[in-house]
Amino acid sequence: MTINQSKPIAAIVGAGRTKFGELWYDDPEKLLFDAGLNCMQSVDKGIHRNQLEACYFGSFLYQSTNKMGLVPGHMAKELGLNVPITMTEAACASGGSAIYNACMAIRSGQYDTVLVGGFEKMTDRSNKISDDLMFAADPNEFGAGYTFPGLYATMMARYMYDYGEGKQECEDAMAMVASKNHHHAIKNEYAQFRREFTPEAIKKSSLVAHPVRLLHCSPVSDGAAALILTTPEKAHTYTDTPIYILASQQATNDVSLYTRESITSIKTTKLATAAAFKETNLTYKDIQIAEVHDCFTVEEVMFLEDSGYYEKGTAWKGIYESYEAGKTKKHTPYINEQNELIVNPGGGLKADGHPVGATGVRQLHEAWVQLRGQAGGQQVESGLNTALCHNIGGTGAICTVHILGR
Amino acid sequence: MQFAQSTFLGGKKMSEPIARRQSLTDYRITASKCGVCGSVYFPPKSFCNNEGRASKMIKHDYLYEKGSFYSGSVISAPTNKFKYLDSYLSCLIEFNDGFRVPGRVTDHTPSETADISKYIDRPLVPRFRRLYADGEDGLVYYSSLNYSFADEYYPYQEYTEIQPSKEIERPGIVGYGAYIPKYRIKNEGDRAAGVKERTLPYADEDTTTFSVEAGKRALIHAALNSSYIKKVHVGTESPTYAVKPIMATVTQALELGEKYEDGFFSGGVDTQFACKAATDMYIDACALVNYPQFGGEYAMIIGSDNSQAAPGDALDYTVGAGATAYIFGRRDVIATLDHYVSYTSDTPDFYRREHEKYPRHGGRFTGEPAYFKHVKTSMKACLEKSGLTPKDIQYVICHSPNAQFPVRAATEVGFDKTQIEPGLVGQKIGNLYSGSCPTSLAAILDIAFPGDKILMTSYGSGAGSDSYIFTVTPKNEEKRNRLVTMKEQVENPFREYVDYAFYRKMKESA
Repeated sequence: MTINQSKPIAAIVGAGRTKFGELWYDDPEKLLFDAGLNCMQSVDKGIHRNQLEACYFGSFLYQSTNKMGLVPGHMAKELGLNVPITMTEAACASGGSAIYNACMAIRSGQYDTVLVGGFEKMTDRSNKISDDLMFAADPNEFGAGYTFPGLYATMMARYMYDYGEGKQECEDAMAMVASKNHHHAIKNEYAQFRREFTPEAIKKSSLVAHPVRLLHCSPVSDGAAALILTTPEKAHTYTDTPIYILASQQATNDVSLYTRESITSIKTTKLATAAAFKETNLTYKDIQIAEVHDCFTVEEVMFLEDSGYYEKGTAWKGIYESYEAGKTKKHTPYINEQNELIVNPGGGLKADGHPVGATGVRQLHEAWVQLRGQAGGQQVESGLNTALCHNIGGTGAICTVHILGR
Repeated sequence: MQFAQSTFLGGKKMSEPIARRQSLTDYRITASKCGVCGSVYFPPKSFCNNEGRASKMIKHDYLYEKGSFYSGSVISAPTNKFKYLDSYLSCLIEFNDGFRVPGRVTDHTPSETADISKYIDRPLVPRFRRLYADGEDGLVYYSSLNYSFADEYYPYQEYTEIQPSKEIERPGIVGYGAYIPKYRIKNEGDRAAGVKERTLPYADEDTTTFSVEAGKRALIHAALNSSYIKKVHVGTESPTYAVKPIMATVTQALELGEKYEDGFFSGGVDTQFACKAATDMYIDACALVNYPQFGGEYAMIIGSDNSQAAPGDALDYTVGAGATAYIFGRRDVIATLDHYVSYTSDTPDFYRREHEKYPRHGGRFTGEPAYFKHVKTSMKACLEKSGLTPKDIQYVICHSPNAQFPVRAATEVGFDKTQIEPGLVGQKIGNLYSGSCPTSLAAILDIAFPGDKILMTSYGSGAGSDSYIFTVTPKNEEKRNRLVTMKEQVENPFREYVDYAFYRKMKESA
């Protein structure tokens, strides 16, 4: 393995999060406060908030769910700070995009130490959330009666038609992704669902948008996550075990599914992953764990192909075989010849939860604890050096990819 | 305060300007095509991604084109706006040039576990339907990004324009289009006075969508450039809005009149006179196309209704749904309008007050002093004026509130079964209110020979009757291959029968 060939962009010296789930009694500001406090307290050698030079926050629905604008002002009030605060809205990739912006700021030399936060309060919106989530789709897709599960179901249906060879195993593989992610979350104390689901149970769950069933979908969640990023040079001021961000990439594409060349792959995943590999001079073979945006199971399937891990149209076979071979293990790796890749060791969006704006930041939190060996019950036991975090917005209109290393 | 409450609690979700802008792209699926590389963009873009500033973008509509199912999903847990449809099929449609748009498959109730691969590649045709309504008091949104399977109830028809002939004739009908929905309900027992089954709208249909569909078919049948039509009247008693004309939506969707900026040089109104709201305008249309100052040669008259009846009322067993559109002009006429009489009196047999959902009627008072008096008087006067006798007429049509009244009225004036029965489509489709006589006339024109004379008498409560005598010309047969006939629609093997609960739900949605 040849990591760290290029200079790291930034170092993560602190990370914190809240539990994800239906947190009825917490305001969004409170969630961000809790995640931020946990994050500050995780800094081994201590940090004071006055050392934060800027903040980057990601949230998708704050304005519509909580009817609040000028988020920097609300957050300045919560934090008691007067530093520059930048809000990023990129649907489910709001968190990843906030990290991308923070990395840009550190790369540019503008700031040394910044706070990154992602948060979402979805349950406040009650039964309007399905409509609100469609803000991240093309208005004509909303007009066609689509929901987000429906859009992903359209991708899944075409994927199975084009590549499934008419086999049951392809549909089974879609359920195995969810089953594996639930299995990974069993010991994750923050996870929304800590329950096993067999592929059979997933295939029998209620229909949401055929062929997508309830248990193919990530849930509606509340939660927040936060990180403290600093320059690689200053990292050791805060901790002896910083985790470095080696690549930070973002790509965008049409918000509309119908205008894309292909609906069975995500162009932004391809672009951002390739750029991240190029930035680090790594390949997929060098990645040991990946935090993948499994908002719907087919998205994880497409990631495995778009990142180059499996050939186009074959991921379902790899998933099927890997699941059958490794379902009894603590973590079920995806096997590809000599390579083993553990995807979503904490349960991913499916089981850990998906408070939209928090997810991208939560992914780096998970990678941070895993790489530092502090993931508790869900710790991947083989010595870890590298992790990749993949955060998608909408049906793939935006993707951020971060590669982390020790 | 009342205004504020209706604004915030009434559920106005989209702004009127957004609705206007969407109508410009969604009514006809208007895209822009790059003249250099052929890439298509929807909604239209001012430049092509490949050609940049060198691109030459050309507007292109897909309203009259055919696409196919690319992929989709059965939506079982819809957004709040679409809950009125329960579960349905949303999909991506691919047109022949590879251009894709999203859409919803309408007139189709998929099984929750339908195998999506079985839908892939099936042909689809755009349909003008409702998306949703902003509550009871907000806007109703329409789009043609709704589709039905072309190998099913609603066939694909090409729209080819033919230059009108140079010869000017007596004014009359130059094209027509009837549209009746796919769904039917059967009447059990004998409460329906001979109406055996009736049409009903799908939940996303209403008088506006019927009007557009019928108008579209009339244009296809006439093979006429839509810009030639300078006037459109929509006669209905179930208007979508209390104030806002259906004819404007029809004009925008079918591009009637010469286009100028984003509007059209044409006019028209929605007319109201119970069931004769449309037929009353036929003479006006013929007069207009004869009037030099009109500045045009064609007028379209649509009779359209989602006929309303209170649940359980006698009318609840006879009401149907649908529309028929006629284009009147003086070139390539298929049936000349030869004689006309109208008879009116203030007879309160059937009425609906503003804000009331269902009409009320005078029971047996609707018969002798109302329907029969007006229909028979008008019919007799028209025969007398024309110098014709029932023997000179091949087909007779009377407004069909049920299947017994028209038979009795026509018989009492001297017509026999063979003249009456071909026009009795009401017994299979119900009472289409303003669409009743126009649809019966369509059924006759579908089968009539050159030289045949048709006597049509409408009836509108309130009350009045219009009688017309048309003579069929040889052009009728020339244009017949561009029709979807009433027989094809009435007997369509894909028509779907529903129960009373489904019927009531559909009636209330539309």
